[in-house]
Amino acid sequence: MRDKTHDEFIERWAEFVKSNPEWKLHQSRFINAQYEKFSNFLNNLSKTKEGQRKIVELYNIKNLKGYKELLKDL
Amino acid sequence: MNRSISNRNILDEFAIKFCNIVEKYADYIIVSGFVAISSGRVRGTEDIDMIIKPLTKENFRLLHNNLMKNNFVCMQSDSYEEIYSYLSSNLSVRYTYENLPLPEMEIKFAQDELDNYQLKTRMKLTLTGLDIYFSSINMNIAFKEEYLKSDKDMEDAKHLRKVYSNIVNEDEINKIKKKIRELRLN
Repeated sequence: MRDKTHDEFIERWAEFVKSNPEWKLHQSRFINAQYEKFSNFLNNLSKTKEGQRKIVELYNIKNLKGYKELLKDL
Repeated sequence: MNRSISNRNILDEFAIKFCNIVEKYADYIIVSGFVAISSGRVRGTEDIDMIIKPLTKENFRLLHNNLMKNNFVCMQSDSYEEIYSYLSSNLSVRYTYENLPLPEMEIKFAQDELDNYQLKTRMKLTLTGLDIYFSSINMNIAFKEEYLKSDKDMEDAKHLRKVYSNIVNEDEINKIKKKIRELRLN
């Protein structure tokens, strides 16, 4: 475990999930925000010099055809 | 990307869509991180891990074509034969939405007695609100505590133990851990 307070947070949150049906709403906001951030970043990166090449390397994409729009300059 | 706030999130929608296609061709289970996340753990993940019962090459061709028809692509290749050769060699392959490298579904064929047992004891988890199959909670706890063991995995196990305290079975967990030591850690 990272430290005592983090450990305590995990316990408290698990307790919240058990007793509050609205846990999913909080969690979905968090997850959607992460992917929205990712999508925006990817879009910005793809427009930079060498950005599309970096995306291929970052995600180890071998099938470039599957990402034609994103990697249109390659 | 969908900006609306609802109970379903991007990972849920991705998983449901993918599982609904796979289940037409093979038994499958979702394992590891997404079991914890869909059970309420708040943490990030890039992929969802899926184990499927091995398919014939022809049935895999049908599955792959259906996935492609529904805008999924395989990062490794478009050729079902090449993808099948990875899976048959016990290597995993990754599918994503077309033009979007994340999230990804990492799939592999069941490779041993332990995977077959996971498929046999698969379950749906009401708390997740998702109508898809997961490997059992006891199985996930055992794998995380005995095999994966990173901070993140130990925290996932702790979360699952607390949330599913009514179905956690120590005898079953210990039995699975023994099997993991025999089959995966030797």
